Amino acid sequence: MLLARVEGNVVATRKHPSLDGWRLVICQPINNAGEPEGAPQVAIDPHGAGMHQRVIISSDGLATRKVVGDDKSPARWMITGIVDEKEPGVPV
Amino acid sequence: MRMGTVIGRVTLSKTVPSLIGARWLIVSPFTREHFQQGTETPPGMSKDPSLVVYDNLGGGVGQTIGFTEGREAAQPFEVPTPVDAINAALVDEIFYSPFKK
Repeated sequence: MLLARVEGNVVATRKHPSLDGWRLVICQPINNAGEPEGAPQVAIDPHGAGMHQRVIISSDGLATRKVVGDDKSPARWMITGIVDEKEPGVPV
Repeated sequence: MRMGTVIGRVTLSKTVPSLIGARWLIVSPFTREHFQQGTETPPGMSKDPSLVVYDNLGGGVGQTIGFTEGREAAQPFEVPTPVDAINAALVDEIFYSPFKK
C-alpha cells in the first residue's frame, strides 16, 4: 500500500468491461514530506476521493477484483482509504 | 494501471499457443514530468523505459492507453498466459492538475 495524492482523473470509453462505472483517478505516490515519488498510478475509487486529497492505494489485485465483482478484471490498484491526518500530526 | 502513449506495434511469427493472434503495442509510459493534460499527447518519449503491452481493445500508434502491469494482466485469460502488461483502457481525456505546495 502506498500513500498517494489524488491529482486528476481519466475518462475512457473503450475499456475492460469490469471498469465500467468506476471512477479512475490519478494517484501520485508521495513520501513522508508529501513530495512526489515515482510515476502516477491510476486506481479505481470506491470512496469518492477529492482532488489533491491524500489517500492510501493498494496494489492487491484480488481485493480489487472482489470490489469490481469480476474475476477476470485486470484492475489492480484501488483506493482503500482517505487520509484524515498523518503522524506527526500534519492535517491534510 | 499506468498511462502511456502507444509508440509502435509488434508482430510475432512464432508464439506460445495461448498468444496466437494477439496484438502487441510498444508503449512509452508517462512519468510525472511527462504527464498528459487534456487530449493532446505530450511530444517526445518519457524517461521511463518503454514496454510491450498485450492489446485486445484495438489501440493504435499515437493513442494514450491505460495498461495494467503484474499478475493481474493475465487475469482476463481463460488459460494460463505469459502476459504481464495488458491494455485495460483506451483513454479519451485526462484531467490532471499536479499538486503544488
